[in-house]
Amino acid sequence: MSDIKPILEFKDIHVEVEGKEVVKGVSLTVNPGEIHAIMGKNGSGKSSLSNALMGHPAYTITNGEAYLKGKSILDMEADVRSRAGLFLAFQYPLAIPGVTVANFMRAALKSHRGADADMSDFRKLFKAAMADLSIDQSFATRYINEGFSGGEKKRIEVLQMSMLNPAMALLDETDSGLDIDAIKIVSEGINRFQNENNGVLMVTHYQRLLNFVKPDKVHVMMDGKFVMTGGPELALKLEESGYEWLNEEKTGV
Amino acid sequence: MTTQNQDILIPEITPELKRGPQWLQDKRNSSKESYNNTPIPRRGLHLWRYTDPTTFVVDKAEVADATFRTDLDNVIESELALLQNGHSSAFVLDKAGRDITFNLADNLVKDGIVISKLSDAVETHSELVNKHLYSQVNSESGKFEAMNSALWNDGIFIYIPDGKSVAQPIHLLRESGMDNSAQFPRLLVVVGKNSEVTIIDEYSGGSETQSDNMSLTNSAVEIFGDNDSRTRYISLQRNSEGAKVYLAHRAKAQQNATVLTVPLAFGAAVSKQNFGVTLNGEGADSKMYGLLFGGGHQHYDNHTLHHHTVGKTTSDINFKVVLKDKANSAYTGLIKIENKAKTCEAYQENRNLLLNRGCKAETIPELEILNEDVICSHGATIGPLDPEMIFFLKCRGINQTEATRMIVSGFVATTLKQVPDDLKEKIAEFVTKRLEDI
Repeated sequence: MSDIKPILEFKDIHVEVEGKEVVKGVSLTVNPGEIHAIMGKNGSGKSSLSNALMGHPAYTITNGEAYLKGKSILDMEADVRSRAGLFLAFQYPLAIPGVTVANFMRAALKSHRGADADMSDFRKLFKAAMADLSIDQSFATRYINEGFSGGEKKRIEVLQMSMLNPAMALLDETDSGLDIDAIKIVSEGINRFQNENNGVLMVTHYQRLLNFVKPDKVHVMMDGKFVMTGGPELALKLEESGYEWLNEEKTGV
Repeated sequence: MTTQNQDILIPEITPELKRGPQWLQDKRNSSKESYNNTPIPRRGLHLWRYTDPTTFVVDKAEVADATFRTDLDNVIESELALLQNGHSSAFVLDKAGRDITFNLADNLVKDGIVISKLSDAVETHSELVNKHLYSQVNSESGKFEAMNSALWNDGIFIYIPDGKSVAQPIHLLRESGMDNSAQFPRLLVVVGKNSEVTIIDEYSGGSETQSDNMSLTNSAVEIFGDNDSRTRYISLQRNSEGAKVYLAHRAKAQQNATVLTVPLAFGAAVSKQNFGVTLNGEGADSKMYGLLFGGGHQHYDNHTLHHHTVGKTTSDINFKVVLKDKANSAYTGLIKIENKAKTCEAYQENRNLLLNRGCKAETIPELEILNEDVICSHGATIGPLDPEMIFFLKCRGINQTEATRMIVSGFVATTLKQVPDDLKEKIAEFVTKRLEDI
């Protein structure tokens, strides 16, 4: 009906971890300019879905299709998916001892631009991106995520997103472990990033973040499946009534 | 050559045994006796499980006069430039323990700092040498330590008088001869009260390929840090690929003295190195940050010792190993705390990164804690790179190979923080080169 190409589209995705199926056939289309949220309890399969879409080797996609800007991604390694424009902000970002934030960021940006790219603008871009997220310049020479607080780690994740400027961002529990000030800074970062040409998919347990980053669509995940889809009001209803309400709703009790 | 698997005695007529004043000749001869009377260690014996001891036996009579690698002149030139630019305080070239030349910054001499041949120091600083030479590495340390104690031809003596600080590092380049050579370098360092020094002790050269005529370097290092002194000792072993290396290091830290020891090893075919610090006065502190990176068929066998003889002393070891290809490494780390040494703190960590399936690492932590009033911990890991770290980097567009290089460079960087900048760059370059073909 339209010639708008979705940013991300996946169909009937099934994911296995250690031989156990944790995602049992989910489909979704994110069009340019859209913000989607997947909500669900712990263990509902939402983090497995985002890891699988990014290409984590421990999460096997046993069935389904996934396209980034119309291109199939499931045969790509994670680094190729990243360079194609997919981004995953981690729930628990890892520390890499001895690798500074600046060197890490430079290597990441260089990989996106290509081996022979001119990097002379890096320092300027990097400094500006840090300032936008209220990250102290001293973080540049610290080892990435080593000894960082939960809030600092998440801000550094958003920093990576804003510098790599992906077409599609998957944000896995980006609000967890954040106090209200940090949530504001992080969500401002997401809002600055978001535009009519890219897509955002937030995975979250609580609707807290959704007060600051307004989703167009909310999908509720239970036991590896999307059980309900709606607008932002669905998030509020879940916050009010809890996931138990959904159980009753679903089963008609 | 009939040296395989059998002991060869040091003959009475060896000229080295006649070097120095009578007391020294006596020491050399008793060391020779000790060597000749000590059987080759059995393979099951403690500290010999991983390396064939006959590797270090040498038929002295068949050792040729040493020839050296052809690019040595270039190395000397760049080292002298560092000295001229004020990046080092001294450059000492020790060719096979025979021909030793000294280049010292002017201010060193003015400050009364002594860097000289050990054979000269025996005369000029007889009291100090008599007191400290053989005090820590001697015929009782082991058969091959006895060998060095008998056969060292000439060595290096460094003395920092009380209250003196040497701002820039003293660089020793211990160049081994090529095929058929055997060398027995020796270093004695005395750091006076409240003095400070950094020494880079670099081993290079030796046989370039493995054969029946591989060069042997058997080195002994003794360091004495008097009260309140601060000693940084960096041992950099980057011998050529056919070299056999045996190194025995011991340091002593007196009251409130600090000793930083950085054993770095990248070279040689077979390398057995033993680093130890005795904490011998209240408030003494020793830190040891080791790093080795093996490739090809290199074989490493490292020991470390922290020996707390006195209470209120602290020690920390972090020994890192990176291996690729078919390289192998064994690390044995002993913390020994005497009964009377109360309220000590001692930590030990050994991390081994294996970059592919063919390489192999062993880690053997040993604790001999003879009193209960101490804080002590140790940890060890052996394994491939963390796949989660690799995934994290790949998620940012960095490919598998580049991610591996970054993680290894990071692993290495935390140890290289401990070494002076010029050396850090040199080693980082070397590590990058070694990571090129992964």
